[in-house]
Amino acid sequence: MNKKKALKAIVKQGKKLRKMKKAANRSSGKRCGGCLLFRVLGKIFGILAAVYAILFAVFFFDLDGKLLYYVVEPLLVKHYDKMERKNPLDMPYKIKEA
Amino acid sequence: MKSLDIKLNVELPKLSELGGKLKEAAKLFPDPKNIRLPKNLDEAKKAAHDFWYGKPHGERRLGDLYVEKTGLYKHREWRGVKDTFYYFHMIWLYNYANMVADIMKFGGPVIFAKGLWRYRWMGQTYLPVLHWFDRGLEGMRGEALRASAWHYRAMVCVTINQFMNMFNADAKLHNGAHNDAWHHSIAHKETVWGGVFYPWSDKFKNIPMEMIPYFVTCHVNNHTVLNYIDAVQSIGLPGDPCPMCQAEAGLFVLDDMPDYAPFVVTTNEACDGSVASTAIQDWFLNVPLFALPQPMQFDDPLVQEHCANEIRELWKFIEEQTGVPFNWELLKEKLERQNELQRFEWEKWDVDAKTNHYPINGVAQALYRIYQSQYGDHYIWHDTDKKVGKILTKCVEQKIDTFPKTRHRVIAWSCAPLYYSNWCTWAYNCWGLNTVINMDSLMFDMTIRTDTLDNCVMDMARYHEWAPMRRMAVGGMHHIFELWDYMERFNCDMVMMYDQLQCKGMQGVVGLFEDEFRKRNIHAIWMPHALPDKRTVSRAEIRRIINDYMTTVMHEEPLDPSLLEFDDDMSW
Repeated sequence: MNKKKALKAIVKQGKKLRKMKKAANRSSGKRCGGCLLFRVLGKIFGILAAVYAILFAVFFFDLDGKLLYYVVEPLLVKHYDKMERKNPLDMPYKIKEA
Repeated sequence: MKSLDIKLNVELPKLSELGGKLKEAAKLFPDPKNIRLPKNLDEAKKAAHDFWYGKPHGERRLGDLYVEKTGLYKHREWRGVKDTFYYFHMIWLYNYANMVADIMKFGGPVIFAKGLWRYRWMGQTYLPVLHWFDRGLEGMRGEALRASAWHYRAMVCVTINQFMNMFNADAKLHNGAHNDAWHHSIAHKETVWGGVFYPWSDKFKNIPMEMIPYFVTCHVNNHTVLNYIDAVQSIGLPGDPCPMCQAEAGLFVLDDMPDYAPFVVTTNEACDGSVASTAIQDWFLNVPLFALPQPMQFDDPLVQEHCANEIRELWKFIEEQTGVPFNWELLKEKLERQNELQRFEWEKWDVDAKTNHYPINGVAQALYRIYQSQYGDHYIWHDTDKKVGKILTKCVEQKIDTFPKTRHRVIAWSCAPLYYSNWCTWAYNCWGLNTVINMDSLMFDMTIRTDTLDNCVMDMARYHEWAPMRRMAVGGMHHIFELWDYMERFNCDMVMMYDQLQCKGMQGVVGLFEDEFRKRNIHAIWMPHALPDKRTVSRAEIRRIINDYMTTVMHEEPLDPSLLEFDDDMSW
């Protein structure tokens, strides 16, 4: 019984020490190479997953079409309607020389 | 053109109006109240099955997806996991990415932005191009979805190539300067076959004048062309001539045609309406012009020699204008490449005519074929045919029924409504009408000999005579009535008879067709339309006509009743 208790206490102590070491490493800026790589990859993956989800939402809810229909096209059409245009009828109609 | 002067006049809604605006915006999305959770195990299994595989044809209710009037979707179709993610990755994302890549490849974002800002047909039409995909591919699954989408991708690539070539050479976008690209471009009417310029294709780019500003716009956004039709009528042209020629002339009236080439080649195809529009174009372009007219009665052997000479004269004209001699080797090479495309097209027709394994829907078949055969050789056609060839082989080997709900095999005859080219997708989804072939696909049904120059020119003359809308729509009654042979060849039991109300040529034979349909006991639906002008006969009217025939004459029930009636009056 005492041996079991002692073993449990050692394991608990070990865990506590590892936790303290991690916290100390974090605060002192030390990283194990593998943890850093995974963290960076994890962030990249997270960003890519978010971008993918947003793109899928745009696709599925036809947000591209709605933006074009309600915003982009009306703006462009207004611009085209207001454009100054040369009147080609001002060009005299004449038979071109052979 | 003045320097870019961008004023965004955006009116923000007042706070008191915000609630109403939000309610209106909510109508653009699916209503959460319509989400029905499964009540028992059977319903749960069905829901899981439908989620994984997509709903079966009769349960899809595609009409419920539309936002009223606009043709937008509350949400895009769920086609099952595999096909939805295929659509997302390989159609939507793939095409957006490749459009950007094409713009970068063919000239870059700056000249693209300048062109977009300057030309209405560019900005109003080509930005919503993915919706053109959506409309044509509605309800499609599996190999038919994949093969048809590749055709659309090819057409987008060639379209971008053409307008970027126009912009690169356009004096109006370069402060009036005629740059090197301008000096190395050839302008021509869209009904001049691109193949006549093959001998100069290594140094010069031939760009049809109206294909991008007019023809393709009608399919992608049917509102754009109306400005040009109205413009030419505003200078006194009556409203009854062919709207195609009206629109082609209207581009010039509104000063919306790039100045991209030092000379132009025109033709009288498809009919003398083109001669009229050429007169206006000649006036406004004011550059050296060569007219390459084709005869109506093209079977006459004397006419063949005449047409061949016309092509030889054209080549002399190009040599004079460019200073670059005719290149026979290059012509042979390009024609052989074109012949390859024709041979693959024949393979496709073989599968289409004899089996139910043909993986290309009516609209993709029609548009790809007319674009490819009229424009001429381009690398993308070969790439597409390779991809489609693999899908075709798979469908034949695995005996895949690509359109399993086909009730009737339809042949579409005469000139199609450009503003509703995807009517055949709707007709399949709603009524099981599978448009297996159409008249425009069957033109240019030939390869061109390259053994000697004389044989080559004779064949080129024949090819050019067989122009869109010319080959079977004029040319003599025996050509117009080739319909019966093709019906038999493609095992069709129904005809969709396009009825272009402003085409005097085809209006003259309506009675003859009626007599033949009766005599031969053929089910034929007359589809009236005004080619690019949606105002004369709306899309809804076209659907109503088909619905009426299918209920009153055929006594059939729709496969998808939600598609019978809906309002897409203001859609692209």
